[in-house]
Amino acid sequence: MRALTFYRFLLLLYCVGLSVSLCGPAFAHASDRGHVLLLPTQYYVLGGALAVAVSFLALAFLPARPLLRLAAWRVTFLRIPFDGRTGISFASFLFLSALVYAGLWGSRDPLANPLPLVVWTLFWVGLTLAHGLFGNLWGWVNPWYGLWRLLVRLGLPEKGSFRLPARLAYRPAVLMLFAFAWFELVYIAPDDPARLAIAVFIYWFFTFAGICLFGFEVWTARMEFLSVFFRLLSRLSIFEAKRECHGFRLFLCVPGGKLTSIEPLPPSGVAFLLLALSSVSFDGFMRTFLWLGTIGINPLEFPGRSAVVAQNTFGLLAMFLALGTLFALATWAGERLAGGRGWLRASGLLVWSIVPIALAYHFSHYLTALLVDGQYALASFSDPFFKGWDLFGTAIPHVQAGIVLGADSAWVIWNAQALAIIAGHVLAVILAHGIASRLYGSGRRANLSQLPMTVLMIGYTIFGLWLLSTPTAG
Amino acid sequence: MSKNRKPNIITSNGLTRRATLKGMAASAGLMAAPGFVRYAQAQTSEPIRIGFQCHRTGIGAAYGRWYERVTNVAARVINEAGGINGRSLEIIIEDDGTDAARGSEVLEKFANQHKVDLVYGTLFSHVVVGSAPMAGELKIPYYVVSEGYHVASGQMNRYCVQPGITDVKAQVRSMAPWIAENLGKRVTLIYPDYAFGHDHRDFFGPAIEAQGGEVIAQVPIPPTETSFTRYFPQIPSDTDVIYHVMVGPAVLTFVKEMGEFFGTGGPQLFGFIDSLEAVDLNSPGLEFLEGSHFWEGMARYVQPEMPDYEIAYREAVGLDESGASVNDPKDVSTAAHMFGCWETLYVIKRSMEACGYRGPQDRTSLIEATEAMTEMDAGPEHPQGRKVFNGKIHQVFGEQSISQVRDGKLEVVHRTSIEDGLYEPEADYTTMSF
Repeated sequence: MRALTFYRFLLLLYCVGLSVSLCGPAFAHASDRGHVLLLPTQYYVLGGALAVAVSFLALAFLPARPLLRLAAWRVTFLRIPFDGRTGISFASFLFLSALVYAGLWGSRDPLANPLPLVVWTLFWVGLTLAHGLFGNLWGWVNPWYGLWRLLVRLGLPEKGSFRLPARLAYRPAVLMLFAFAWFELVYIAPDDPARLAIAVFIYWFFTFAGICLFGFEVWTARMEFLSVFFRLLSRLSIFEAKRECHGFRLFLCVPGGKLTSIEPLPPSGVAFLLLALSSVSFDGFMRTFLWLGTIGINPLEFPGRSAVVAQNTFGLLAMFLALGTLFALATWAGERLAGGRGWLRASGLLVWSIVPIALAYHFSHYLTALLVDGQYALASFSDPFFKGWDLFGTAIPHVQAGIVLGADSAWVIWNAQALAIIAGHVLAVILAHGIASRLYGSGRRANLSQLPMTVLMIGYTIFGLWLLSTPTAG
Repeated sequence: MSKNRKPNIITSNGLTRRATLKGMAASAGLMAAPGFVRYAQAQTSEPIRIGFQCHRTGIGAAYGRWYERVTNVAARVINEAGGINGRSLEIIIEDDGTDAARGSEVLEKFANQHKVDLVYGTLFSHVVVGSAPMAGELKIPYYVVSEGYHVASGQMNRYCVQPGITDVKAQVRSMAPWIAENLGKRVTLIYPDYAFGHDHRDFFGPAIEAQGGEVIAQVPIPPTETSFTRYFPQIPSDTDVIYHVMVGPAVLTFVKEMGEFFGTGGPQLFGFIDSLEAVDLNSPGLEFLEGSHFWEGMARYVQPEMPDYEIAYREAVGLDESGASVNDPKDVSTAAHMFGCWETLYVIKRSMEACGYRGPQDRTSLIEATEAMTEMDAGPEHPQGRKVFNGKIHQVFGEQSISQVRDGKLEVVHRTSIEDGLYEPEADYTTMSF
């Protein structure tokens, strides 16, 4: 009997999860790319590049002070008179446990099982975008904090029993993010409910063990890649929270306004942000005719992921290294032009301007997945464990895949994607300008330092729009 | 259509959703009795479990969505009519990611974990080819709905059959007589330069020659090509018919550029609807197709004199007059292929009934019963039309539709005979051991 109880305890732990992973985006590419091929996308590319260039020129002739004043603008939006992180996190833990249970014992269909749909669509797509808008929600909804607080009350040392070497900086998070991206983009079955459940559980357990041993703050600051990722993205949001005696005060600010007082990221932090952007970029690139042709795969008879594991592993890494190299060159050259001698500090600050681009890519690339798989996810909640339930009346839906199909949808989606990509890059130029002003003070030096970076931004705008308009497999 | 979704999918306790609801009241008393064991009354009251190897994700997902819908509807209809040998049918879905390696894995999972009676429903050829050896090794029947010639060619094994959809060789051959008689005898082929296109090239050439025609030019297009205007000058000026089978995202561009090249004139056009399956024919760029002809496995649009059983099939599956979902007019179906799921399930039903199928011990009898089938009459079980099954090559033959684009819709102008597509068998699975 005791053994049985222990087994059930293990089972419960098993069902704890973590939100890792990915995939799903089968429907991300359901909007017929053929219709997009008929659109005058070349004008959008030209227009996007011009918009970024003009933004730079306009900023070059504008004094930085009004920009900085705008960034510093705050107005109280809301007071939250309590700290509900423990309760919400604990609820999140229970929710994740139920999801992992569903993954292991629910439907085998990845479009009926809530685990892959929640992880890859609602979490990885939806929650990521929500962080860019609302702020660091993960600090509240992560599935570890509540349980950890409980253990702290029971005597677990709050600061942990071990110390994570400071010199590691963000390196562990970089490795974890790469593993995550590999699982999402390269692994052959990331949306298989059972495999995903196991992956989620392993990561949850690994992280919880780390939090208990090293302390929540330290572990989530440098090792837990989701916390790192979301915290970085949330710097762009239009809300800023400040602790008060009881609860929080929420301020409204302009997008990126919180970045003016930001500290430079160490090189590993720079690498983390660039990896985040390059992995989403590679998610698009690996489906293009160009990439498939390069690795000797006929895009019209794509053999499946199992045939391209090695090639895509290399590609993911190469994309990261390529972007890293370009960014390093752009910031180094900018520093030289401005006559500065603190390249690492400059790059650690300027990399923050990558955040809006990463968010824009996330939105554009996963928009169709959100629209279609989001419907499957809502449907799956009515019968999460495949028991024949219909809890919310949505268990037998007809998912409206047509929302992303046809020429009209293609036009709307393409315009939304293009707008997001261009807006993300324009915002990036503005942020980079503000950061440069802070770095170099004088307008001339700041403008000179931004020339190479602007060229990179223009190039990435073109690349982003090309990714969304070039022929792809699937 | 909404009520048709997932009604037959197995639940974690082994009962279908419908069976759960229907049986709940009836069995309440029995379940309350001490020592109740599910299915204790007789082994044969257990459902027949069919593993559906489905392209839920990957490049086949658009097809998989409709294959899943048709499969679930057909299973529900069969169950409502009494099931198979009095047993209900349960469909268990596993996603193969449209990947050959995963397909093989899924097959093994079906056999060893889900303990299904058979595996069914695969469309993409590379997944069939990758999975069939595992079916042979595990000795589990594998009913595919893939249209490929690989089954009939003899490259598979005794456990792999294709009884619900015709293969591409027969389809191509059956087009030749009508093309030669109605569109012209001098044909230029435009095809993607890989296996799919090569099949059309190799099958159509001899077929048109047998009709007194000839292929006067071949224009292979590299698969990664996205602009086609530079290839059109290769089309001889005395071409009567352009036979085109382009596929992929650049198809719309291909048609648009062909229209720009020929203007209002040009040769007759004949294509395979595979190029535009699940694509709205009224999409921008496809205007040049007006008046051209297509092969259709089954009519996408409602036709003036459609048989009642075909209308009933469309209503059950949830198709509107244009062949899109009644709930989602922009979700155009894969009408030319998905009927194969419906018909294959009925072939499985007939085969099981013929051999008195009881369980996995009768798997070889099931294959033999399918091999023994010959005539399949058009009707509710075969809404696409009459068929003849050749047990030696595990392949069914059937009538095909030739349709013309008129006012942006496909109208069937000719039905080929089964004989038009027949060819000499090149294999005999029945001589292979189990």
